[in-house]
Amino acid sequence: MILLRTSLIALACAVFSVDRLCAVEEAVLTEQVANVFERKCLRCHGQGKQEAKLSLATRGSALTGGENGPVIAPGKPDESLLMEMISGEKPSMPSEGDPLSAEEVNVIRAWIVQGAPWPANRTLTVKAAADENWWSLQPIRQPSVPSVHSDFVRTAIDAFVLQKLTEKGLQPAPPADKLTLIRRVTFDLVGLPPAPAEIDAFLDDASSDAYGKLVDRLLDSADYGERWARHWLDVVRFSESQGFEYDRIREHAWRYRDYVIEAFNRDKPYADFVREQIAGDVLAPITRDGITATSFLVIGPWDEAGYRAQKSVIMKSRLREEELEDTIGTVAQTFLGLTVNCARCHDHKFDPISQRDYYRLKAALAGVQFSGENRSILTPDEARQRESRVAKLQKQVDTRDAELMALERTGRQEVARQRSSGTVSRESTSEGPKPYAQWTFDVDGRDIQGNLHGTLEGGATVSGGRLKLAGKARLKTGPLTKAIREKTLEAWVSLANLTQRGGGVVSIEMGDGRTFDGIVFGELEEKKWIAGSNNFARTSRVSGARESTGPDALVHIAISYAGDGTIAIYRNGQPYAPAYRPPGTVGELQDYQAGEARVLLGQRHTGGGNAYLSGEIEEARLYDRALTAEEIADSYRSSPTTISREAIVAALTDEQRQRHGVLLAEVKQYRELLEAIEPAPLAYALVPGNPEPTFLLARGDVEQAGEQLSSGALAAIREPASEFGLPLDASDADRRRKLADWLASPDNPLTARVLVNRVWHYHFGRGLVGSPNDFGYNGERPSHPELLDWLAARFIAEGGSIKRLHRLIVGSGVYRQASHFQPAAAAIDADNRLLWRFAPRRLESEAIHDAMLAASDKLDPLRGGASFRPTADEVVHPQITRPRASDGDGRERRSIYRLVINSAKDPIQDALDCPDPSVKTPRRSVTTTPLQALSLMNNPFVLRMARSLADRLHREAGDDVEAQVRLGYRLAFGRLPTRIETDRSLALAREHGLENLCWVLFNASEFLYVQ
Amino acid sequence: MNMQETKSASMNQPTPNELSPCRRDFLGQAASGFGAIALAWLLAEEAGAAAPGDKLPPSPYAPKRPHFPARAKRAIHIFAAGGVSHVDTFDYKPELAKQQGKPLEGKGKIDPFFGQPGNLMPSPFAFARHGECGAWASDLLPNIAGCVDDICFIHSMQAKSSNHTPATFQMNSGFTFNGFPCLGSWLSYGLGSENQDLPAFVVLPDPRELPAGGATNWSSGFLPATHQGTALKTTGDPVLDLYTPRELSQASRRASMELLARMNREYVDANHGDSTLAARVQSYELAARMQASVPEVIDFSQETEATCRLYGLDNKESEGFGRNCLLARRLLERGVRFVQLFNGGKFGQPRINWDGHENVETNHRTQAATMDRPVAGLLRDLKDRGLLDDTLVIWSSEFGRTPFTQGLNAKGRDHHQLVFTSWLAGGGVKPGFSYGASDEVGYHVAEDPVTIYDFHATILHLLGLDHTRLTFYHNGIQRRLTDVHGQVIHGLLA
Repeated sequence: MILLRTSLIALACAVFSVDRLCAVEEAVLTEQVANVFERKCLRCHGQGKQEAKLSLATRGSALTGGENGPVIAPGKPDESLLMEMISGEKPSMPSEGDPLSAEEVNVIRAWIVQGAPWPANRTLTVKAAADENWWSLQPIRQPSVPSVHSDFVRTAIDAFVLQKLTEKGLQPAPPADKLTLIRRVTFDLVGLPPAPAEIDAFLDDASSDAYGKLVDRLLDSADYGERWARHWLDVVRFSESQGFEYDRIREHAWRYRDYVIEAFNRDKPYADFVREQIAGDVLAPITRDGITATSFLVIGPWDEAGYRAQKSVIMKSRLREEELEDTIGTVAQTFLGLTVNCARCHDHKFDPISQRDYYRLKAALAGVQFSGENRSILTPDEARQRESRVAKLQKQVDTRDAELMALERTGRQEVARQRSSGTVSRESTSEGPKPYAQWTFDVDGRDIQGNLHGTLEGGATVSGGRLKLAGKARLKTGPLTKAIREKTLEAWVSLANLTQRGGGVVSIEMGDGRTFDGIVFGELEEKKWIAGSNNFARTSRVSGARESTGPDALVHIAISYAGDGTIAIYRNGQPYAPAYRPPGTVGELQDYQAGEARVLLGQRHTGGGNAYLSGEIEEARLYDRALTAEEIADSYRSSPTTISREAIVAALTDEQRQRHGVLLAEVKQYRELLEAIEPAPLAYALVPGNPEPTFLLARGDVEQAGEQLSSGALAAIREPASEFGLPLDASDADRRRKLADWLASPDNPLTARVLVNRVWHYHFGRGLVGSPNDFGYNGERPSHPELLDWLAARFIAEGGSIKRLHRLIVGSGVYRQASHFQPAAAAIDADNRLLWRFAPRRLESEAIHDAMLAASDKLDPLRGGASFRPTADEVVHPQITRPRASDGDGRERRSIYRLVINSAKDPIQDALDCPDPSVKTPRRSVTTTPLQALSLMNNPFVLRMARSLADRLHREAGDDVEAQVRLGYRLAFGRLPTRIETDRSLALAREHGLENLCWVLFNASEFLYVQ
Repeated sequence: MNMQETKSASMNQPTPNELSPCRRDFLGQAASGFGAIALAWLLAEEAGAAAPGDKLPPSPYAPKRPHFPARAKRAIHIFAAGGVSHVDTFDYKPELAKQQGKPLEGKGKIDPFFGQPGNLMPSPFAFARHGECGAWASDLLPNIAGCVDDICFIHSMQAKSSNHTPATFQMNSGFTFNGFPCLGSWLSYGLGSENQDLPAFVVLPDPRELPAGGATNWSSGFLPATHQGTALKTTGDPVLDLYTPRELSQASRRASMELLARMNREYVDANHGDSTLAARVQSYELAARMQASVPEVIDFSQETEATCRLYGLDNKESEGFGRNCLLARRLLERGVRFVQLFNGGKFGQPRINWDGHENVETNHRTQAATMDRPVAGLLRDLKDRGLLDDTLVIWSSEFGRTPFTQGLNAKGRDHHQLVFTSWLAGGGVKPGFSYGASDEVGYHVAEDPVTIYDFHATILHLLGLDHTRLTFYHNGIQRRLTDVHGQVIHGLLA
């Protein structure tokens, strides 16, 4: 045979007898061999790694061979060790990945027969194992449905599956009984057990479409979205905390979770779902959904300490690369099933993804900026309407305020005139809120209220009634004479310039100069006022406008610190940003000790850099309590002098006084209207930035920037075109829109394949491709490639309706077969990849949790909204401080509504394989451990649920213990107990109490598994 | 768990002199020992009931063969959180005294974490040579200094980040990002455990508080949940949900367990072909055994007073961490594969870790008082018991500290990832040895750089694992602890 083939090739050359033809053939052959070597061999036997000291990179090294001697005997394939290694029943090479195909082996054999021709200068280099001909990159075909005839075949799916089974001489299992089926499909579609009444209705419904009606009911139920959204959240590594050191909770991240739930429930076309998550904030028409969906891009881990505390520039840029790699990885794995992230430092080793592709994709996402910020999800129209209403009311307030101020100015002048000296003397006994300390700079830095006198330092001067600050100038007081906790800081200040960053106006600090609270300008964000504090412990980003008042005018700033920790900032008497309560123990109100703490004017705190203010302070005050909004508004209007409002009003004419009263009342009224306008709803979603230029980084190193690249997608995919045609400086919006369109295009060969495979995976416990995030060389090959394409093509044709896909799949004979074990089939196909039965499986942690709640009638039906929080008894996290919570504050909602915190996972969910929130999890592992058993045995939740189930059984089945047992079985397993089971259960319930039986039911494998 | 409770609880306890240090064991409460053991017997009796053909899967912690004969059978990692200053502990730099008060020059761009490079500052601690090997160590850690003949120092460690948490992640998991399995998880995955009644990978957080990032530090990442670290708590149930709730009578629990076992076995019989069902039956048996094993391991009553003193249990500062060290020895003795101890809690004020930004002298003195005696005691105790021969002791921080001050006229040091010191002791490493060196001021590596990848590759090697072969497929990649890097440091192997 071998001889025959050798002579055939010789014969071919002889017959055609044209040297040129042979030469061409030889060259083609050499190229084919080179291709195999480069893709399949050189990774271990190349110029880099030389396993067994063998390199197939050059002619010389290949013919020399390795530590086992020569591997190629030119002209003699049967004497070539290479052939022995790559052929046969179980070839020993390649040691990883698929064996070479018969075609590849034959090519190498023919090449050796020809004398192993190899151009002298040709050096081979490692190439990705897969090229652009890789199966998953080819356009989706429309395979014809095999014509098979069997009762088993209900859908086209069954024809594809049955064909494969028949090829292996296997049979599907018989149809599952109705009871098994309703329990299976109910858990599968809605993640909850079927209620006894639902079971009865289905069993009693003898109509031919009973099952179809059941499926429709389940898909129409809002429970469905809550179930299937959780799957999606696994894939996109949804987390409501940052991860890393601070792991701060993202209070508004739940909107994305609700967005996903709603997308499933409303059967949002998949293309829209994809597009919104990439670019929903810039796709017309802009919707609340679209804005919220972009959370997807920023929902992963983010190292805030690396951005804020860290000053090293190089470390910051590395951090940026890391976080974008994670984002790019998530985008590509989620939608394309490709591990593009592997191409950051070098071309992908297995898939045809170049480093260039990676950086083009990075350019497409370069506007993705992480921050702790939330954003309004109002659409532009809604935002405009809201703004115009606010502006209208604000104007009413402002005009009246102006008139009030003018009136009061008149009054103030009148008071001054009336005073014998003829000059304005400061009153320290005003009727309004009395400051603890007050600096008016009439003479120097003295406190006109008490003894907290300040010294001028670093060139600070007092003149014209103001404290003048430039360079490192400040006023520092002596220690406080009493401890200050609740407080208000207040100042009238003019800024020398608006570009300065981080200067303090009024601060109170501990003796060590570290712990402080103060009015700080432009530190976190340019031109914004914040409540500054040590390490931003009590600081929040603020929604207030950037400062526009320059050196010509005074700005009034006040910050109140209430006893419960609430901090409110005011500018010119108006709330500057919503009041907030900083989280955690460091966020609590600070104690400033008498004899130690002090006040600084013009410096943020003494223990930090860049802390000085440039400008002038007209007056500053410290109060030992939190002033109300009204008091602060009054203070703004009546000052910076300290003539009391009463004195001013008294000095007005009757007419003026009357007008003053009217204006005050009207201002109050308009303020109330303003306050009644609901704040814009916020989401933790993308706040895009201007894309920084993207360079190809050699070895992924930020210090080795190469060519600048514009945005694009993967070149190995022919359609849709990977070239976006955008300039280097294209806007973020253009880039993301292009990427969104590219991903969602019906021509994209991966998007639909990957999605239908995910859905299949969740229905059957395993995808047609067993690695749902990896359709590349390292992933699994599809068990049913034609079926996968058929499903993908149909999915696209049906407009990307996931619900129709569900209907199709759960309606199939494959899905509806029993889970019976067939030893003979298992011997041929142990993993059931050919689907000779429905593989039973354990419920996911969330379904177990929810099923206990449902069975014991404790499930809180509230849907959507902010997540319920674990308690400090359950988890350790600086922002989780409540010791324990009673039932009924949302803790018995479905587990998808539990706050997902990176560093504080739910212990019982954790034991039941709920994944780490920061890990992209397309397929959960299922483990069985003693810690899991202990959780189910002793976790307070399980015990509470067992008691609740017992209560329900008493309530609904009356005092007859046997009736209680029967109902318990129905609720937990969906079926009635046998006689023996009843007797055993009765014995336990009678002797030890019903809740012990309920505990047994919740620990039973039958409860935790679906067949 | 609530570590703060521990603190307040221990403050109310008698002072060390009132009571033998061993008597104050972890629990005030007695475990449900008898019932659990009886139950274990009950379940074991019929454990073979799985149907023929349904092979019982191996225990989740079943020991696995290493790739090659191991020099160490188990390991312990003492992680000193916050950044221990190498130039103030084990890396003596007399040059710092000579150049005191001068800026560091000629070392390229100086780019520390907080961006405020000060001037060079000599160590406030006195250095001397110790042991037969003559290794330098400061008087900050006098007891550990007394053990240098058993220690193999690595003075040329390099981390990727000068930011705590990414650097800590790297030391733990090889990566600077959230979501990768840590060393202990890889060891559990690669080697299983010698004791099926205790978790394979146990974590003992600092008794003061959890480290920054909490349980993220012992996540199994994408490895199955079996391999995540189990944090032993010092109040309440030492292992979460370990004990049968007090309000349940033993008789009721036993009767319930009997019925459950019967039902679950019947379910195995009715549903062939799924080995996880048999594994579930077995897991309750293992759980019952764990209920008995854990109380035994945390009960120090059989330890001598001398042992307890050795670990510093008679001293207020070192008592908490000393207990954890003693407990670590007891866990290792019983076959637990990997124990990770944290010396230091989360960041911020007041400092409860080695993050000496303000004043390295006072900060390090305070931390050293908690760590020195317990760690030295652990080394001595392991040695006396013959355990050090095949136990690998790993001591590290996430990075070192700058040889210059943070800011001018200051006393603290900033984070420093370019060079720092870690050490190994025990199974398979050269005792009384130093590998690699920093430059004259401890700023750069001068000889034989050791990356964290190399460090991990060497640790795996000592435990019989080839770091390039210990892999787990996740999203397209055969993932490794060492990513695509790492060389075993043969120069420090015994």
